[in-house]
Amino acid sequence: MAGPEAIGALRRRKRRRHAGWHGFLYIAPAMALVLVFFVLPVLFTGWMSLHNWPLLGNPRWIGFGNYTRMVSDVRFMAALRFTAYYTVIVTIVIFAVAFPLALYVEKQRRLVGFYRTIIFLPVVVGLATASLLWVWLVNVDSGFFVPAAQALGLIDRRPNLLADFDTAFATIVVMVVWKIAGFTMIILLTGLQAIPSELTEAARIDGARRWQRFRFLTLPLMRRTIALALIISITGSVLAFDQFYIMTSGGPQNQMISVVYYIFNQSFVSFNLGYGAALSIALLVILVLISIVQLWLLRVGEDRP
Amino acid sequence: MMKRLLAATGLISLCLMSGASAAEISMWVRSGIGDSFKKVVEAYNASHDDKVTMTEVPFSELVQKYATAIAGGQAPDALSMDLIYTPAFAAAGQLEDLTDWAKSLPYFNSLSPSHVKLGTYQDHIYGLPLSVETSVFAWNKDLYKKAGLDPDKAPATWDEITSNAEKIRALGGDTYGFYFSGGGCGGCMIFTFTPLTWGAGADILSADGKKATLDTPQMRKAVDIYRNMVKKDLVPAGAASDTGANFLSISNGKIGQQSIGAFSIGTLITQYPDIHFGVTLIPSVDGKTSSFAGGDNFVISKGTKKLDAVKKFLEYTYSLDGQKIMAKYGSLPTRGDIADQVLQGLDPRMQVGLKAISIAKTPYTLQFNDLINSANGPWAGFTNAAIFGDNVDSAFSNAQSEMQSIIDNAQQ
Repeated sequence: MAGPEAIGALRRRKRRRHAGWHGFLYIAPAMALVLVFFVLPVLFTGWMSLHNWPLLGNPRWIGFGNYTRMVSDVRFMAALRFTAYYTVIVTIVIFAVAFPLALYVEKQRRLVGFYRTIIFLPVVVGLATASLLWVWLVNVDSGFFVPAAQALGLIDRRPNLLADFDTAFATIVVMVVWKIAGFTMIILLTGLQAIPSELTEAARIDGARRWQRFRFLTLPLMRRTIALALIISITGSVLAFDQFYIMTSGGPQNQMISVVYYIFNQSFVSFNLGYGAALSIALLVILVLISIVQLWLLRVGEDRP
Repeated sequence: MMKRLLAATGLISLCLMSGASAAEISMWVRSGIGDSFKKVVEAYNASHDDKVTMTEVPFSELVQKYATAIAGGQAPDALSMDLIYTPAFAAAGQLEDLTDWAKSLPYFNSLSPSHVKLGTYQDHIYGLPLSVETSVFAWNKDLYKKAGLDPDKAPATWDEITSNAEKIRALGGDTYGFYFSGGGCGGCMIFTFTPLTWGAGADILSADGKKATLDTPQMRKAVDIYRNMVKKDLVPAGAASDTGANFLSISNGKIGQQSIGAFSIGTLITQYPDIHFGVTLIPSVDGKTSSFAGGDNFVISKGTKKLDAVKKFLEYTYSLDGQKIMAKYGSLPTRGDIADQVLQGLDPRMQVGLKAISIAKTPYTLQFNDLINSANGPWAGFTNAAIFGDNVDSAFSNAQSEMQSIIDNAQQ
């Protein structure tokens, strides 16, 4: 006769046997989505990259021809260099702006909700919309900043900010920081708020100064949050396109063509989808490598086995 | 995604089409073609059993959409597209060969020559002119008057244009003597700036399109003229970053002179009645005149079942009725033999655009987009660097070698 224990054991065994099944069912929808919208397109892109694939006309198999072409493509190399330069600058500036802001709005003080809101507000504006808005703001003839600066007597000649590399680049960086810093701030803020107040309390009682508390308590505990914010910022910058396309069309004199912009040009201006696909695969590999390095750096020195 | 979307819209239009007895022609046109062609379609649909269903496709997406529609088996029966694309489309084998029919048209020899040339690929005709646009030179008569110039005297040389620009700039404030979209608009600059060299006998490409011939004394002179005007502050600073958005700056009333398209004549007359302007042909560096022949060619998708109906419709647009409707809404006559009749009673300034057709040119190349139209192509980069940059020589040598390498890569 089977006692209650035996029935319980049977049930447990059954459950264990079904556990894998159930788990699979739960993730199946997500897997299907990833399969349809990520894995298959990537495989198809890989297939395309092995062809001379014109937008009009029939594709022709050329093996790794597109990849060998890439290595000696000076314009692609220039786009890579520019994208790297942009990514480094933008990421540093965003952090330099967002971290102090996060520290500032973390404390409960007067109007803190208001500050958080206005800093976050630009995040909800689409990047293309923001770019168009800034094209107008900095326009030399009909915009806001330049005529305003002249009216205030700050400048006597109106400069066309978008016509020169340095000022156009600075304008785009300022626009992106204005647009993105609020988002990074919110991420950092959640990290800051996750630090138990007992710890800071204890450190204070032990006599740690404000800078010491920040350096030896806050920063180490923020490690994962910072890494997350960095990965988001770097990935976003490596994939930057809209702002260059809209604000300067890659100019002045083609000095601001990011990698994605170059892929767009190859695919839809030169109608060379095969080469565009090969460039996309290369960019994917680069992004994966960057993420691996970042995750590795995150783990180094972490107090875990 | 795009493909599926297109397939879906194609399917819907297919469903809408079935059930009618007379032929239903589906036709794509690039957006911005203006009212002229729309009105012809309206008139045709009202007076014929066959019906034309016109779909406007954004100019910059037409090629992509057409390509994906072909891939999805949903290509429209006919297409009106920027004439410069005809050789590339024909080379891809996607168009019906119209040679015999075209040559049988009694007015074939009086069709806009540049359009027919662009519509021809390896001695076969794939495209015929639909709408004709030429570039012309316009000046603001009110500003001429204010600056003490004769408002009815068209400038004939660039020396004259420059000195007029100086006098107009001297009015001060926001008033400038000259304008051009030079930031990164290859399409604008080929339209307005190359006539300076064409009239003087030079060109940026060899006749067969296989050699870049950018660096000529004529082009150096042309660059000097524009550079000089920029340096003297006769051109608004915004020109250096204008990617084409402000192409019709003369409409703001503060620009004294500008090269524009003949289509802008209609726009200026109807939408900016306060601008009093004169129109003349664009002088070249040596004073002879030239123009860019732009506009659209009419092409028919290979394998369409409605070939005859499409031809009938095109013959209607070439008829005096069709031509008159086109002209009334701002498009120049496509047929030279009846041009005078067509333009009768219309604004006399249209005549200048018409005169330009016979001297107008269009570069013939399969890589027009890559070389010239693209904001990142060598031509756009060259005009920007040579006119606004510090080093003219390197602008010439960079663009020359980049152009040649694009041409060479495409030959492989």
